[in-house]
Amino acid sequence: MLLENYVPALLFLCIATGIGLVLMSLGFMLGRGEKSDAKLSPYECGFDAFEDSRLKFDVRYYLVAILFIVFDLEIAFLFPWAVALDTIGLFGMVAMLIFLGVLVVGFIYEWKKGALEWD
Amino acid sequence: MANQLQQLLGQFLPEPFDWLVLTVLQIVALIICVILCVAYLTLAERKVIGYMQSRIGPNRVGPGGFLQPFADVIKLMLKEVIVPNRSNSFLFVVAPLLAIVPALATWAVIPLFPGFVIADINAGLLYVLALTSLGVYGILLAGWATNSKYALLGAMRSAAQIVAYEIAMGFALVGVLMASGSLNLGDIIEAQSGGVSNWFAIWLFPLFIVYFISGVAETNRAPFDVAEGESEIVAGFHVEYSGIAFAVFFLAEYANIILIAALTSVMFCGGWESPFAGWEFLQGTVFAVIANPSLAWFAVKIAFFLFCFLWFRATFPRYRYDQIMRLGWKIFIPVTIVWIVVECGMLLLKIGPWGTVL
Amino acid sequence: MAEQIIFYAFSCLLIIAALGVVVSRNPINAVMSLVLCFVTSAAIWLLLEAEFLAMILVLVYVGAVMVLFVFVVMMQDIESATLSARFAPNVWPGLVVGAISLAELLVVVWVRREGLPIAAVPEPHPADYSNTLELGKILYTQYVYAFELAAFLLLLAIVAAIVLTMRERPGLKKQNISQQVSVRKEDRVRVVKMEPESDA
Repeated sequence: MLLENYVPALLFLCIATGIGLVLMSLGFMLGRGEKSDAKLSPYECGFDAFEDSRLKFDVRYYLVAILFIVFDLEIAFLFPWAVALDTIGLFGMVAMLIFLGVLVVGFIYEWKKGALEWD
Repeated sequence: MANQLQQLLGQFLPEPFDWLVLTVLQIVALIICVILCVAYLTLAERKVIGYMQSRIGPNRVGPGGFLQPFADVIKLMLKEVIVPNRSNSFLFVVAPLLAIVPALATWAVIPLFPGFVIADINAGLLYVLALTSLGVYGILLAGWATNSKYALLGAMRSAAQIVAYEIAMGFALVGVLMASGSLNLGDIIEAQSGGVSNWFAIWLFPLFIVYFISGVAETNRAPFDVAEGESEIVAGFHVEYSGIAFAVFFLAEYANIILIAALTSVMFCGGWESPFAGWEFLQGTVFAVIANPSLAWFAVKIAFFLFCFLWFRATFPRYRYDQIMRLGWKIFIPVTIVWIVVECGMLLLKIGPWGTVL
Repeated sequence: MAEQIIFYAFSCLLIIAALGVVVSRNPINAVMSLVLCFVTSAAIWLLLEAEFLAMILVLVYVGAVMVLFVFVVMMQDIESATLSARFAPNVWPGLVVGAISLAELLVVVWVRREGLPIAAVPEPHPADYSNTLELGKILYTQYVYAFELAAFLLLLAIVAAIVLTMRERPGLKKQNISQQVSVRKEDRVRVVKMEPESDA
């Protein structure tokens, strides 16, 4: 059955989580110490923190994330294609080459627009 | 051996439970192996880089420094875990867990030697990709929950970098899939059987290089370690982590390194296959055993790639951030796309050992 | 039996996580609840033997889309966002949308029931059945137009993202690598022959 093979993976996830939890709680139990304000204050080269650390970031990070989503989707389309390649034959191959061609146009547009520059 | 153990367990336990207990034992054994590998990878790192820089490296704890990792672990265990007063304490504690769980759980689908894999699932490769894509949350949340500028900057840098290289990795894996025709990691290894000339590392050489270098970048290792660039942002996302919380991040990072080494050997270097398989003249000699597929070959390959990780760290100066992004987006992605098209041509012209397609 | 236990466990988790998305005041908690939602729904899809879709759900939504969400939330000023968040004003529109979605689901289920043996449990597939392969077999042949249309949609997404977010910042000094690489000695160094100034 298809699903039976997933049971060990699920078990593995649970055990990995369990081991992580055990390690963390062991550390919290063993490593006790005095708490003080100076110790618990955020690290900023010996100063008190001037302000809250959340700061506005360059919009470029969003752009990278959006482009990542698009390319990730593209890869998601490539996986079943690569697996089924020997049954779908030349027709499927050409279909994918057109698909890739369209996206390469987008990629070139990004490149020329400078969306891939990081400066 | 697994069968004997299952028979033994079967004497005490009813039907499905003997299997369950056996699986749990195997998983725990594998995780302990991975953790031990991490421990000795840290020692190897310090020793190898030490010798590369004409130093000796750790040599005080145990013979030749052999027990150093245990000393480190015990020290980290006993250190106080500091949760900074302006942090989001729940997420601060959860973040290391989010880093460690995917790093360990991906091992479920890695075939270790012929006929042994803990979860033999069809979509093994997708499972690997899905879990490794979760690893970024540990870093992002750690950076955010800490509420420190250094941590936040480190997390953002690391996330944007991981994201860029994940695409290159995905495309490289599509090339592997085209050649193997299966998402199951065991089948991918089988597709490379028959000696070194059938390895995908030969036929998909550009993808192999792209995959491995992307792996180095994904794990935030030198020369791509701007996420913790100590000369700029102190330690990046784990600047406030101490004691066991830091150790768990450390464990996750090194488990990921070993994972990348293992995946590179599975995808491109035939996993447990021997490079000498199919060498007829070896048969009947004492060397026949080295032509057999075995766990030893897999371990040798992993060790080689791990050595490369350490070697890179000792050799290359750190990349600048814009250079990292350029390498990922402008070099690796075009290279992989071009090679996928080339591979289409190879399949059509029946070049390469897998020429059964079409 | 075990399958049902797993199903109900994940369903409960899914509902709790979904409630967490709506109820939590801190945006980052809401985003993490949404991540948990996606992961648990992937597990439920897996129970339906849709392994490809389950994995892609985690890969694309959790691995990519939610990373964008986290980026957005991380860059907000959380303290003020938390304080200004009011649950009540959004309740009614939310309830209306929820009710419409529920009605749509019920209609779909009702319509499907007319012709299909919906109550029958499909036969479990053998272990070597590959969902991905079956999908690949039809996606690039039978549904090839839809597939190519997807390429244009993705192209549109790329262009839209760039048009909306690209801003040229003035005064940037950029590194031009091809210029750097192609530089020659003559461009940079001028060798000047000159007489000695004194013979001392």
